[in-house]
This record gives sequence, C-alpha cells and structure tokens, in this order.
Amino acid sequence: MANFHSVTPELAEALKAIVGEKRFQYGDKVKEDYSHDEMPIYGKFPPEAVCEVETTEEVSAILKLCNENNIPVTARGAGTSLTGASVPIHGGVVVCTARMNKILSYDIPNMAVTVQPGVLLQDLAADVDKQGLYYPPDPGSKTSTVGGNVATNAGGMRAVKYGSTRDYVLALTVVLASGEVMHLGKTVCKTSTGYSLLHLMIGSEGTLGIITEMTLKLVPKPAMNVSVLLPFERIEDCIATVPKIRIANLDPQSIEFMGIDIVNSSSDFTGKKIFPTTYNKKEVDASILVTFVGENEDELYEKMEKLDALATECGAIDTLVIDTPTLKTDVWAARSAFLNAIEGDTKILDELDVVVPVDQIANYLAFVRSVGDEVGLTIRNFGHAGDGNLHIYACTNDLEFDEFWKRNKILMAKCYTECKRIGGQLSGEHGIGHAKKEYLEESVGEVPYRLMKAIKALFDPNGILNPGKVCS
Amino acid sequence: MLKILVCVKQVPDVNLVKIDPVTGSLIRDGVPAIMNPLDGHALEAAVQLKETYGGEITAVTMGPDAAMSVLRECVSVGASKAILLSDYAFKDADTLSTSYTIEKGASMFGKYDVILCGKETLDGATGQMGSQLAERFGTSFVSSAALIESVDEKAGVAIVERETEYGVETVEAKLPVLMTIEKTNYQPRIPNFKGKKLARTFEITKLTSETIEGLEKDKIGAPGSGTIVPRTYPPEKTASGVMIDEGDSKKNVAKAMAIMAEKGLV
Repeated sequence: MANFHSVTPELAEALKAIVGEKRFQYGDKVKEDYSHDEMPIYGKFPPEAVCEVETTEEVSAILKLCNENNIPVTARGAGTSLTGASVPIHGGVVVCTARMNKILSYDIPNMAVTVQPGVLLQDLAADVDKQGLYYPPDPGSKTSTVGGNVATNAGGMRAVKYGSTRDYVLALTVVLASGEVMHLGKTVCKTSTGYSLLHLMIGSEGTLGIITEMTLKLVPKPAMNVSVLLPFERIEDCIATVPKIRIANLDPQSIEFMGIDIVNSSSDFTGKKIFPTTYNKKEVDASILVTFVGENEDELYEKMEKLDALATECGAIDTLVIDTPTLKTDVWAARSAFLNAIEGDTKILDELDVVVPVDQIANYLAFVRSVGDEVGLTIRNFGHAGDGNLHIYACTNDLEFDEFWKRNKILMAKCYTECKRIGGQLSGEHGIGHAKKEYLEESVGEVPYRLMKAIKALFDPNGILNPGKVCS
Repeated sequence: MLKILVCVKQVPDVNLVKIDPVTGSLIRDGVPAIMNPLDGHALEAAVQLKETYGGEITAVTMGPDAAMSVLRECVSVGASKAILLSDYAFKDADTLSTSYTIEKGASMFGKYDVILCGKETLDGATGQMGSQLAERFGTSFVSSAALIESVDEKAGVAIVERETEYGVETVEAKLPVLMTIEKTNYQPRIPNFKGKKLARTFEITKLTSETIEGLEKDKIGAPGSGTIVPRTYPPEKTASGVMIDEGDSKKNVAKAMAIMAEKGLV
C-alpha cells in the first residue's frame, strides 16, 4: 500500500480554491455521513476533506492535485453502497458527486439519455417515463445515484429480462488519477473497436477513474405489467420452478424469491399481511413473485395462462394475480420492506450478495443454513431468484460484536468457497468494496486477479483512487 | 345459504389526485381509478362469510361503464352476480339519491341477509352510505364492524365485534343486517388466475334509469339529491414552521418563547 500523505492546511486551501468555500469541508467540519455507507458494520472512516464537485473540470483539478501530492481520493454519490465502496478507509479526500445531478439531454431517435453521475435513480426513472421511454436497471435503492450504479454495475429485479446496469451504458466521461479526461464509447448500438475500456470502467468502483458524465441506453416503455405470486408448500419445489419459467420462454421481467420467515418479518414491519402464509389450508413455506410486462392485456393473459399451467405442474398451491393499482402498491411495498424488516429486528448482521446458477439456489441456501447452524448464526434471505442473485443475511440478536464477527468470518469463508465450487460468483450486484476484498482472489482465480492488479496499476500508478477496495 | 350483497365504488386514487387551484375541480387525467380501498375490506368480509357459511355474493356499484372493473374484481374473488347501475341521469347524485338508486337496483334480484359496505369512500368521505342503505333496505345496522363472529340464519342473528373509541364491543344484530367493515381483520386477498380469467369475460348486469323497476325519476341524480356542492377548493396552505437550532435545548426553548412572546401568544 502506498504511503499516503495527509491533507495539509495548504492543500486544503488549494482544494477549497477549486470548488469554493461553500462546497468544501475540512477537518472537524467534515460531516459524519461521509465516514460510512449503509453498512457501518464495516467500520467508520472519516475523510480529511470533502469536495462537493459540480463539473468535470473540478474533478480533474482535484485529481491532478491529489495525484501530485499522493492523497487518496474516494468518489461518493449518495453513499448507499453496501460494501464500504464509497468509504474513505485511508482518509484523504472524498469527491462527492451528489450535486452533479442534472439530466443533460435526450437523444430520442437513438433512445439515449445523457446524465451527470449524481442523478438519483428514482429521478432518472421518473424523467425517462415522461419521455415515454424506460430505463430498465432497477437496483433496490432508488435513492442511489446512477453514477454509483454504473461504478458497481448494480443490478436489481429486472435483470432477468433486461440485464444489469452495464447493458445500458453507451458512453462515459471519466477523469483518470492523473487528472486527464477521457471519453469512452459512443451512442451506437454495437462496436468492435479495440479493448472496451468502457466496460472496464463499469463496475470498477472508483478505483480506475471517476465518472463525470454518462450516456445511457433507453428502451420503449412497456404499456402494462402484471405480477403473479406462486406460493409453495416446499421451498425445493419453489426454487425448482424458476429455471422452468425461464425455459418456457415466458420472458419475465423479474422473478423474486421469498421464504416464509422474511414474509412474516415484512408483515410485522409494515403492519400489513400481504403475502399469504397459509393458503387453501396449506402452510406456505416459500413463494416466488413473477412480473411480466407487455403491450396489451391479451399478451399478459397468455403468459399468465402458461405460467398457471406450469406452476400447477410444479406444485404451486395456486397462481395469484396482482394487477390492480392498490394490490401492486401493497405487494411492492411489502417486497421493498424485506431488508428494512430484517434490519429492524436484528441487532447485528452481515450480508452475502452471491450469484449462483439458478438450478443451484435451493442447494446453496440449504448449505448456508447448515453453516449458520454450525456457527450459531441465524440465516435469513430473499433475492432475485430469476438470475440466481441471493441476498443472504447472517444475523444475531444475542452475541456481542466480536463474537459475531469471529463466527461470521468462518461462515463467510465457507459460503464463498462453496459458492465458487458450484459455479457462482462473489457478488451479483453490490460489488466488492473493502468488505469483500479478501474473498475476491479466490472467487476469480489467481491469474485474473493478477491482471486486475496490473490494470489498476496502469490506470492509477500511485494508487490514490479509492485505495483498499476491489483489488487495490 | 346466505345471500350477501357487497356495495363497492370506483374512485380516483386520491393519493395521485390534485385540485386545480383556479377551478377547484379534481384533476383526474392520468390518475388510475381503483376500487375504494375500504370497500376491499367489505369484499373480503363477504368472501369469508361465503367460505364459512356457504351462499352467494352479489356485487353492486353505481358509475360509468369503466366502473365494471371494480365489479370484475369482486367476481375474481367469488361474487356470482355483478350489477352496474349506470345512466347519465344518475350524474351528480349525493348519498341520498345514490342509496335510493342502489337499493332499487339491487332489490330487483331478491332480498339479502347480509349487506356489506366500506366505512367511507376516498373521494366523497361522507361515511353516510352505510347507514342510508340500511334505512333504504330496512335492515338493522352495525357500523365499524371489525369482526363478524357468527351469522346464524336459523336464529336470524349475527354476532359482531365493533371498534369504538373506547374499545371493542360485541353486538347482536337481527338479520337482515347491513355492516360497514373496518379493515382490522379483513385484508383483501389476492385473486387467483382462474378467478381473474372468469371475471374477465363475466357478464355484468347493467341497469339504467329505464330498466330499474319502480324508480322515481325525481329521486335520482342531482334532482334527487338533498345536498349541493357550491364550491370545491384545496385547503389554504399554512405558513411553514421555523427551525430553531441555537445549539442546545435551553437556548432553543428560550428562542421559542421569544418568538411566541413577539406574536403575543404567551
């Protein structure tokens, strides 16, 4: 690790001169929020200074100055990361892009929008909707910034049909550690033009450069949608249905999985019992929530008819249709409350964001539960069953932090090893940050990991960009 | 076998409705029409009664043709008859003329043992329809019914828990009875696909002012209404508050007192 320098009062003055006094924080004026993301369990690390940037030129000037003075720089949007990715673990300067929140232009014939990185996902989605178009990536945190979504290649529920954020990035403006500004990609439908630095930048978590402008692909807005809930008596039958839905060419937008424990927690949390826990006098053990989009009601009914037949064959208790505005609001509010529900009744938790082959979901969940029993931690989970991305939480309400952490480390190591063995990957959509860094080499393999480090060194020879994250 | 009538209404989703500040009218463009949420609890209570005691559910609504969608929601969870009362002559009806029209229309298909309504609607929010309908149908009336404990057809009584300001009271009501349903125990169920498919093409009985038997024209629509709405307007916005942050609570209290003293409030 490079021996970084501190932000001296002289350097602070120089940084302040770049962004102006109102957008600069230094020393004890730095707000506490900048010291953590949404997983403070991974530690709090206050930066020495914060620059609330508004232009590419400001980012360039800051990076040039910091690179010359060996000061670490961590890019941050809304701070909603779940791996410590936006937390300055080596201090230095936080470059906050939250004020770069303008939707700059639409290119309707080419179905593209150009935005600054601090635009919130919910604001982009609403604005695109007004244009009669659709931005499919839909990560759970609607108040995350789109810049952060690109930097972590965030996914979300709709990845089953539409893919993740990577599939919607056409072009980027990026500032390198040296302060040089480069433009990657164009508003074109395909390209075969050398190595894709664009795709290298996506998911690099601010370790290779800082994104200051993005052109994103849009698609026609589906006219309507419907969700279908399939309750099962056995979790194994529930999970086994997922690949069959995909093979049946029903083209769902999302397939979400929920076990009975998380349904009960959500119900307690929201005060509304939306998802059935018993149905037709049968105990529901697990359910999947399938969403279709389409151009007319006939198309959606045809898909639901096929799904109903398939679900019956697979052992679903029934096929429940969520198609009214009131039901949709209730169901998605309950679904969105899953993480809050777990957090609400858990003292300490850590998370796995693994992605596994969809036919391995049930086996993997059983494995994690057995490890949870072995080490004495409660396992709770939900996730995007359609793409194998599982959010699994190791929880305790009884243990003190040190004991939890000791057991948790054993659990994580075993679960990531098993994940690799069955053909899965360490992270489906949250990224690596510093929380999952120690598991990355095992997940990707020695040679790819070595190349990752070499790429990092090439882009950022002094290692100032988000040090201690991913492979740095 | 119980004969159950459930009364529902299609309303604009008021969470999304705005009021035109100039005309005072509701801006409904692009706002989804939904079943009045509290009617959903009445529907669920009807379905649970049918499951427990057997019987048939008739759903009734008054509104434009588009209101058929809320009747289809009723059919999708078990209603076997759906009646739409729709006519330009019903326009601008208040609760007095609406309750009259509903009773006349629904009574063409027989008598009902139990009639269920939501407590009030999202748009009108008068909360009068239940009691007026009970009067029109000549039934006993239980408002704020939180749990229907039992319905005994032979004895002709229903035992019902009511939610009141002071707690829960259990009442015995003679059948036929009309109840307005609380949401406490009746979270609407999610319909299944078979129900939705049936409802999609289900034949809804549409009645107009010409086809409802015995309807007196001067008792329907605006002419039959006992109230008029001279003006609709959004509530005046109150001035926003002042954030007091003087560093510690003692200073904050002192500042608050000073502000109130300045206004002559203390």
